Amino acid sequence: MDRRTFVKAGCLGSASLFLDGLDPKALGDVTAPQAPPIEVVHGAKPAKSSLGMPGLFPGRVVEVHDSTSIVRNRVSQPVVRGMIERGMKELTGERSAAAAWAKFVEPSDIVGVKINPSGAPACCSSPEIVREIINGVRSAGVPAANIVVYDRYEDEIDIGSYQALLPAGVRVFGIENGLADAGYDPNIYCQATFFGEWENRSYMARIVAHSVTKIINVPTMKDHSASGVTGCLKNLGYGTFNNVARSHRSPYSFTDPLIGVMCSVEPLRSKAVLHIMDGTRQVWHGGPLTQVQDFIYQAGTLYFGTDPVAIDTVELDAIETKRRQEGVPSVWTHDADSITSNSQEFYHNPRKNLFYRRPGHIASAGKLGLGIADLKRIDHGRVDLG
Amino acid sequence: MSQPPQTDKMPGPSPTSDLPPESDWPTLLHDNSRTGRLGIRVARAPEKVRWQFRAASSIRSAPVLGGGILYAAAMGGTLHAIDASTGREIWQFRAGSHIHSTPAISGKTILFGSDSGKVFALDCESGKQLWEASAAAEVWTSPVVSNNTVFFGSADSSVYAVDAASGSKRWTQKLGGKIYSTPAVSAQQLYVGCGDTYVYSLETASGKISWQTPTGNGIDSSPAVAGSSVLIGSEDFFFYALDAGTGSIRWKYETGLGISSSPAVAGDLGFVGSKDGFLYALEIQSGRLRWKTRVSDVVTSPPVVGSGVVCIQAGGIHAVDIATGGVLWRAGLGGAVQSAPILAGNVIYLATNDGEVYALE
Repeated sequence: MDRRTFVKAGCLGSASLFLDGLDPKALGDVTAPQAPPIEVVHGAKPAKSSLGMPGLFPGRVVEVHDSTSIVRNRVSQPVVRGMIERGMKELTGERSAAAAWAKFVEPSDIVGVKINPSGAPACCSSPEIVREIINGVRSAGVPAANIVVYDRYEDEIDIGSYQALLPAGVRVFGIENGLADAGYDPNIYCQATFFGEWENRSYMARIVAHSVTKIINVPTMKDHSASGVTGCLKNLGYGTFNNVARSHRSPYSFTDPLIGVMCSVEPLRSKAVLHIMDGTRQVWHGGPLTQVQDFIYQAGTLYFGTDPVAIDTVELDAIETKRRQEGVPSVWTHDADSITSNSQEFYHNPRKNLFYRRPGHIASAGKLGLGIADLKRIDHGRVDLG
Repeated sequence: MSQPPQTDKMPGPSPTSDLPPESDWPTLLHDNSRTGRLGIRVARAPEKVRWQFRAASSIRSAPVLGGGILYAAAMGGTLHAIDASTGREIWQFRAGSHIHSTPAISGKTILFGSDSGKVFALDCESGKQLWEASAAAEVWTSPVVSNNTVFFGSADSSVYAVDAASGSKRWTQKLGGKIYSTPAVSAQQLYVGCGDTYVYSLETASGKISWQTPTGNGIDSSPAVAGSSVLIGSEDFFFYALDAGTGSIRWKYETGLGISSSPAVAGDLGFVGSKDGFLYALEIQSGRLRWKTRVSDVVTSPPVVGSGVVCIQAGGIHAVDIATGGVLWRAGLGGAVQSAPILAGNVIYLATNDGEVYALE
């Protein structure tokens, strides 16, 4: 297979000359410009397996709710233990949780648990849930020393106190931890010029390319100012490659299609075998970094699946529903009056945003074969435990 | 990283400190009880940068000061010894692995932990390695020296006691979870928080556990000792005062989010930051809130106390009036997750995530 491919997501050519610095109000409805082609250079693809995205259960999403899983903003580990056991059994059809875990990992695996600490401490992958996922992985025979919990930014991991809160023997790793560029492979990348930036490549993290053999993705459930929502796809794509903030420059965003393209790059695509979305807390405005509790609600829900597109589609629908209930604009709204460059205004006014959101990255990822983006075709099971 | 440890001595004159000896700040939050106080008054914002030093990489831990030399540990694995008067580097030591630990000074020795599990003891003046001790996993905690013994905790779940002169092991005590909490030590007891939710008290002579008290979640905060109380925060959102003799809970105060900040003590007040963005002042005897002040969106670093002032790094550096909780001044530098400033003489020293070390006056 040729490691080098082009994803022709558009034919705008030099977007930078056209877009940079323009007043959105002067552009009328030109708010969703086409992205330039993205050159992709893959890494080595692991041996053929049915586990890679969309994985063993394309189109299946299991939603498990328990209102007691989060009380007074504290996540209950005993309650989420039961939720995870039930979710894993429902997803796989296995009679025991250990058998369910064994469908995804085996004792010789090096298992990466990709958390989302951005937004810590207000809304991040809950350490209580990560601890139970680690217990699940260990129930399949994987030793603690073969488990690494990771993200790109060590300082965000530090704010979340994951180092102290996760079990002994499990590594906690920040790809960017004070040694510039040491954590990325220069031979695996996505290249595109969105806004005339000079550094137009994004490299894959070495830990993904070379260290882990399986990835369990633990995203959070949030509105996202550029991509509409941050979920499975964004946590994987933008949490694996560097230099991704260049894809959005106010008020425009090329997160669609870049997020999906990044998730399709090998070996990330083949290694990400399971997604457990932490929806105990859900952010309906101000994501991904907000600390404003007014826009975070304690939903007490977890989502399970192997198809990141299907889970994100369900998530997008949930965030949209919540925003509608709160009487604020859809994440699809492209209204020049909604755009602000004042971050404080953005954080405290749910009618304002920094970018025209582009949640179409989920459907774009579906077109790349990463999963099913049509709600009608998604097998969405719901379990209510309390 | 797997290079062998190495010291590089920089050419140039010996440090010419204009700091009085009482300006020393030898360990995390100043002393073994973590009181974080020295006594200078910093009621006004610093007016200028005396010097600025660029470290080899970002700095997570707090600097320490002794004998006119400021020591700052860069996360990439370099300990810098800097002339506190001029900002000139005197020597640097490359540990061969990352450093998250705040150094500690004991006499003429500087000690720190590393991600390889090694704890290094170096000669303060030359940077020459004197000895090293090893844990089975990373040591992010700051070594504590008391009674010729060095105590430190490790992510391997153990607390270690080694001889301060040689590094030879005296005892090891296994606890129930990772240890990222730096111990506080009194004459006969050591107090430490643990990832398994417990606060432990160990006998300094033997390592035997005297008591253990559970909290509602893991502990990242380091304890402070105030009289007969042990003060510590937990990720369960509570700030605890425990009886130092028995471990019983005297009171606990609920904040809005988890606490990884370590407390400081001055007079009858304990100060701690919470991830809810507030700095709290609580009466040590009763747990009654004296005041709370929002200093940032998130607070994870420990406060330090000057005369009438509490300083904390959260986004930038903030100075808060002890009496009222009012913000006296803020400066837009000093972004840090776990670092804390040094208040010495008429100078504030601070290190940042960006790898900058500042002397402000």
